[in-house]
Amino acid sequence: MPDEKGRFPDPHEMQVPPELDGWEEMYPTHHLFSKDRADWEKAQFWYQDKIHAPEPVPPLDLIFQEAWQISLSQYTTRVFCIPPAQGIAQRMVGCYLYICAIAPPPDEIIGEKAALFEKRVFYVFEHYDELWEKWLTKFKALGQEMEDVKIPSELPKFVPDDEVLPAPTGYYDSYTLLESFDKLVNQMFKGWQYHFEMLNLTYLAYLMFADVARKLFPGISESAIGKMVAGAYVSMFKPEEELCRLSRLAHATPVVADILTAESPAAEKIATLEKIPEGQSWLAEYDKAKDPWFSVSCGSGWFHHEGSWTTNLDIPFSYIKSYVERLARGETIERALDAIGKERDEIVAEYKKLIQTDEDRKSFDGAYNTIRTIYRYAEDHLFWVEHWFHTIWYRKIRQIGKLLVNRGMLEQVDDIFMFNRYEIPQLLTEVSTGWALGVDIPLRSAHYKSKVAKRRSILAAAGKWNPTPALGVPPEEVAEPFTIMLWGITTDKVQEWLKGVDAAQEGDVSKIKGFASSAGVAEGPARVLKLLKDILDLQPGEILVCPSTNPSWAPVFTNIKAAVTDIGGLTSHAAIVCREYGIPSVTGTGVATSVIKTGDILKVDGDTGVVEVIERVG
Amino acid sequence: MEYVLNFREVDKNSLSQVGGKNASLGELIRADIRVPPGFAVTTDSYQQFITETGIKDTIFQVLAEMKPGDIAALNTASETIQGLIQGSTLSASIKKAIDKAYTQLCDDCQVRAMPVAVRSSATAEDLPTASFAGQQDTYLWIQGVEAVVEKVQHCWASLFTPRAIDYRVKNNFPHEKVLISVGIQKMVNSRAAGVMFTLNPTDGDLSKVVIEGSWGLGETVVSGSVNPDKFVVDKVVMETSDKTISTKHIACVYDPEAGKVVDADVDDEMQCTCCLEDREVKALVSMGKLIEQHYKRPMDIEWAIDKDLDFPENIFIVQARPETVWSQRKTRSVIGGKSGYQLLMEQAMKRIKIPS
Repeated sequence: MPDEKGRFPDPHEMQVPPELDGWEEMYPTHHLFSKDRADWEKAQFWYQDKIHAPEPVPPLDLIFQEAWQISLSQYTTRVFCIPPAQGIAQRMVGCYLYICAIAPPPDEIIGEKAALFEKRVFYVFEHYDELWEKWLTKFKALGQEMEDVKIPSELPKFVPDDEVLPAPTGYYDSYTLLESFDKLVNQMFKGWQYHFEMLNLTYLAYLMFADVARKLFPGISESAIGKMVAGAYVSMFKPEEELCRLSRLAHATPVVADILTAESPAAEKIATLEKIPEGQSWLAEYDKAKDPWFSVSCGSGWFHHEGSWTTNLDIPFSYIKSYVERLARGETIERALDAIGKERDEIVAEYKKLIQTDEDRKSFDGAYNTIRTIYRYAEDHLFWVEHWFHTIWYRKIRQIGKLLVNRGMLEQVDDIFMFNRYEIPQLLTEVSTGWALGVDIPLRSAHYKSKVAKRRSILAAAGKWNPTPALGVPPEEVAEPFTIMLWGITTDKVQEWLKGVDAAQEGDVSKIKGFASSAGVAEGPARVLKLLKDILDLQPGEILVCPSTNPSWAPVFTNIKAAVTDIGGLTSHAAIVCREYGIPSVTGTGVATSVIKTGDILKVDGDTGVVEVIERVG
Repeated sequence: MEYVLNFREVDKNSLSQVGGKNASLGELIRADIRVPPGFAVTTDSYQQFITETGIKDTIFQVLAEMKPGDIAALNTASETIQGLIQGSTLSASIKKAIDKAYTQLCDDCQVRAMPVAVRSSATAEDLPTASFAGQQDTYLWIQGVEAVVEKVQHCWASLFTPRAIDYRVKNNFPHEKVLISVGIQKMVNSRAAGVMFTLNPTDGDLSKVVIEGSWGLGETVVSGSVNPDKFVVDKVVMETSDKTISTKHIACVYDPEAGKVVDADVDDEMQCTCCLEDREVKALVSMGKLIEQHYKRPMDIEWAIDKDLDFPENIFIVQARPETVWSQRKTRSVIGGKSGYQLLMEQAMKRIKIPS
């Protein structure tokens, strides 16, 4: 906890609970605080990344974090060269991810970067639409490439004739297996290189526009700025739109509607539909929509256990059921995307009318067009990378997991996620070696299975632990756009954290502050969800309190009264979705999940960013 | 010539007849804003009064003979003139007109001897360039035609307080050019009242409406004798960005036993209770926006919430005038004519300081 000088714990002296003993071996050593780098590490400010890792990170899922550390940072430092900004470094502590925005480089580097920035960045804004088309083409090709990676479903007793005659292929499944995992890893890294292609600039442009808006209207709220910028862009809304379309089709065919609204598992519904011609034609439409639009994670896409609509058919089918039922009651199910766009344009026009001089109106237009040109990237890339691409990755990784189960190395397919990306080649090498050596060759199955058991128990223990929001020394300045916008790290935030953590110890915090990210006021019982999978516990009318929320929880938002998060700025995914659904939200409180208990009665004021505990549970 | 005019009959073109405050009430009615009903005793009545009573020449003679900068002389002149105005008897014709209008008002509101507010409304007051605010008188909770007439004369006399005379001398306003009308308006039985600006007076932010309010009559807010509750609301998205609940020790209320308005202590539990409901704040903001649109400029507004009526009929605007502080500043560019790319470059170079 912070000392009297307003400092958070020294990362090198940070203690983790004893139940987490051995956590370090789950992660690559470069992701741990280390003696070699101690002086540098102690001087930085590390805060827990609850956006990307709100829960303990399973070893293989760290790959996404590893990939973004490189990619996000390089676009800032080496590609588009945001002059005073450097990258974001990562470290793991007790299964949680901490990150730090690195201090600005020396002045001569800033000067060199400024020249490159000007040359490279303005070009992107001028050619955005064209660049987006190119991006999408290459990204879809990469996904297809990953889909096409051949993974042996079993190692054959003997290689088939056609791989030997008339000419030997020369390499066999022992190699293909090793190669397949390497390919998947490389493709994941490449996909994440693409991920940030225009994202840093999107965030930078947003901060620029927000600053212009604040100069013109000193008291303008973050949520008002968000309302002017955010839009209903295609990709993240498409899955839901497709569900609506399928529901309308079903509604028009009563026999199909009856099957889809029955209280039975999705698999059973599909089997029943297959038996009748109307059902078959509905399923044909379903299949058309499925790829790519149902490759959407049930969570953020960052954790293998979240699953996706394609792995949990019950989820899209339960949405369809409720949509068809609503249609039967004569309700509209589609969200008025046009209306959202229209409302946004009206808000912008009204603010513009309040500007006093022609000169400022022109600057406002310039700033607004700049952000609007690129802002869709913030929402579009999300579907293609975190949802579609990750869904393919999980499917392919599970195919490898299946083989490892078949070879007796693992108990369950998902046990593969208990090993990091450097360890899996060892398992695969051992399997390939055993196969090559002949019959009755012992493998170290027990060794791997016991590792899985131990790691699962460490992760479970870590899930119950509530680590400090930050480590090290708060910085004097921040220039890195993601840090400010996505994580909402500002002076105030750090102060709030210090205060929140202090007070949390005293146990007397009844009021916490965050970003007023979606307007409105709501009162109700809290549901604190630290793990995404606990979402099933949520009851209608509760106020969701979680480390961060996610757009793919869409239907959840129709059930809750308000949302409160520990981390997230105004354009965090949580804030955007809450605004779309018209639910109050306060994001970036830093401490909500540690201060609030499930059952506490809360008052969430999305206009002022204040969350108040009106009544403590018990 | 009209001795009295109903607020419904006046607008901004009636300024010379009914003064700034009354004309603006007529304008508000035209903009569909809920204003307590009432009427104006016109400047013609005032002119005729000082003429037919024969005090006119004496008044301007006294003023002309007054030595500039002589405070004692100023006070004496003021006393003499005010004595003349308050001491002279109103002619039957004017009195009859006031009586008729007041009786009609009582009938319209179905209240006998209805309490009214009697306020002066000068012709040079409340102009965007000359804030005379507070330089003429207001009398609250006046009942019966005799009392009304007496206060009308008090209001006329208030044109010649030492401060008002001095102000005109210093600003080179000819005394003869400033005429006075009086507004007689149904008293809002106010639970809470206060002011509203259609910009943020602290920073000139035109996207905000700022409301200040307290328990009872708005006098405590206007005079600054109470720290009011404060609400800052965005005009466009209608979000409340700041809400400050202050400790409101006293409330200006009408004491029926004393027959006058007094400062009363506020019950402990009410002191820190917000004086406005959220929906009342929203309704006030909507009215503020309408008024601003009607006048096409930022406005300074007085409002009151009537405790005898239900929402939304309980919300009244009692006064509206152009805001004078920020509106007089020269509008200048805040962004400095920068293009989107220049702004982006600027942002890219920015560092956010985190003071230790």
